[in-house]
Amino acid sequence: MRTLPQLAGLTLAVLASNCAYAQTAYPLRIENCGFPLEIAAPPERVVTIKSTATEMLLALGLGDRIVGVGFQDGPVPPQWAVDDLPVLSEKLPSQEVVLEAEPDLIYGGWESNFAADGAGERATLQAFGVGSYVSPAACRSVKPAKLTFDGLFEEVDEIGKIFDAETAAQALIEQQKAELASVAADSRGLTAVWYSSGTKTPYVGAGNNSPAMIMEALGLENIMADQDEGWISASWEAVVDADPDVIILVDAAWNSAEQKKRLLAENPITSQLDAVMNQRYLVLPFPASEAGVRNVGAVVDMAAQLAALDFTR
Amino acid sequence: MTATQRPTLLTLGIGLWVLLLASVVLAVAFGPADIAPSEVWQTIAHHLGLVADTPVSRLRDAIIWDLRVPRVLVAAGVGAGLALCGTVMQALTRNPLADPYLLGLSAGASLGAVVFLLAGAALLMPVGAFMGAAAAMAFTLLVTQVLGGATPARAILAGISVSALASAATSFLIFWSATGDSYREILSWLMGSLSGAVWSDAVTVLAATIFIGLPVLLSGRALDAFAFGDNAAASLGVDVPRLRWLLLGATALLTGVLVSIGGAIGFVGLIVPHVVRLATGSRHRVLLPVSMLLGAIFMIWSDTAARSLFAPRELPVGIITALIGAPIFILVLVRYRRMT
Repeated sequence: MRTLPQLAGLTLAVLASNCAYAQTAYPLRIENCGFPLEIAAPPERVVTIKSTATEMLLALGLGDRIVGVGFQDGPVPPQWAVDDLPVLSEKLPSQEVVLEAEPDLIYGGWESNFAADGAGERATLQAFGVGSYVSPAACRSVKPAKLTFDGLFEEVDEIGKIFDAETAAQALIEQQKAELASVAADSRGLTAVWYSSGTKTPYVGAGNNSPAMIMEALGLENIMADQDEGWISASWEAVVDADPDVIILVDAAWNSAEQKKRLLAENPITSQLDAVMNQRYLVLPFPASEAGVRNVGAVVDMAAQLAALDFTR
Repeated sequence: MTATQRPTLLTLGIGLWVLLLASVVLAVAFGPADIAPSEVWQTIAHHLGLVADTPVSRLRDAIIWDLRVPRVLVAAGVGAGLALCGTVMQALTRNPLADPYLLGLSAGASLGAVVFLLAGAALLMPVGAFMGAAAAMAFTLLVTQVLGGATPARAILAGISVSALASAATSFLIFWSATGDSYREILSWLMGSLSGAVWSDAVTVLAATIFIGLPVLLSGRALDAFAFGDNAAASLGVDVPRLRWLLLGATALLTGVLVSIGGAIGFVGLIVPHVVRLATGSRHRVLLPVSMLLGAIFMIWSDTAARSLFAPRELPVGIITALIGAPIFILVLVRYRRMT
């Protein structure tokens, strides 16, 4: 069942646009992560791998197409939650498990989901008549451009085309653009580090994926901005040397924000960081930290957290 | 030992000690943070009570004294310890390919550490690694006994099977429980990394290397006897079984400590003794201390490369030691081939 704000958004979009969006002409041919993809008809049976893929379809009201989910990173946010999504596997499902669900499309959040020991090679799946789609921001075969919100909305638009759901896609894009526009970037010139995981060697957000995009939207200067990667294994020395004003903590089930706070406070060196001594943390859930429909919400939420932080000490 | 060799060995010993100290002093000046070497050394002098003031900010002081100094000391200790373990294992098994890996100790230590890490007891990981090394050691001994008693070949075969079992168990655990991106942590740990080394690690590693290393250094003559075979060693008055298991036990203990702090760092224990043998021959009273010194120097520079070459990125040091160690090992193999 769709929730009220979503319906309101859809209605608004339909009213706002006099001309209806063009219906998708099938077969649809697109280049996805260097792979030529041909979609013969709107996919009816979709397996989603990773939370970002699942949530994209739910946000577009396409939950009824999902016949199985795998490798979910956390709970779906309430506004998109649906009852009983069939869980194929807690971890990366194997090819046979995926095919058993008889999908016509597999939508993966990571390109590595499509490997022989995962959902299957993309070419193999194609030979079986099963389409595969990789979230373009997570593409590895072709290096994606530096991620921007416009780039992210292109994925929403592309999914809209694939499913012949352009109206819903445009409505979601307009809604997210409006939400994003409501956030004023912080102008105090604050620096930040995006602490994703790791203990001895921290895995941190670098310069060209969702972490960089979100920090930019918040008006935070990313201390790893010059690293042309999504995330990198950094050294604590580089983090301490930059002494960021704010630390962004990714809250994952397997490595919670609380665990990270404890680690930062107990480590003899990180405990001396300004941000740690003054508890200047921003927290976001792991599924919202990878490129997807939750990034805008994360910006809104973290902007409020940032405004509430105390910089007087 | 002839008279002409004495000054050479003395020069070698003094030279290596000077090189080791110079390596420590120089390596602390490298790192992702751009701090002038003079400021680094002044800060260290300040902490040693030699000068009154530190020229750098609080955080830079912490970078130097709490990150770099303990890490360089850990590298020195791990390098010396691994070289010692490798030398002893090679002597005891009369197998030039022996080191803690061959007898399954490293794999066991890794398994123990990963079990504790995944159980959420990351702080107890060193305990897990030591228990794993000890368990692998005990299991190797047991299998050796079942095979009909301790001979070098049986010990190695037992070690290989224990190692395979422990590695499979580790892989299974990682495969089964890796959620999201937690596998990255485990993998970089298994490849061997000295990142995150703190003072308590430095104290642990150096204490273990010295307290376990000293008695082993004193058994150099007995290790020489092993080179002639168990019977020859026994006829030279060596209590063969007792000394063998004592030394293997010491190696297990040291391996556990080293793996718990640095992860499974490869090739140091394997190649350092070979390189040293080329220069000094195989008398263990010379081979052991020289290997420890060279191992320490090698590890300091490998780790310095791992933490500064791609700054601000950090590389697991095991990649560096393998990149340098594997080609050297091939040269060693070629040389042994000609000699036999």
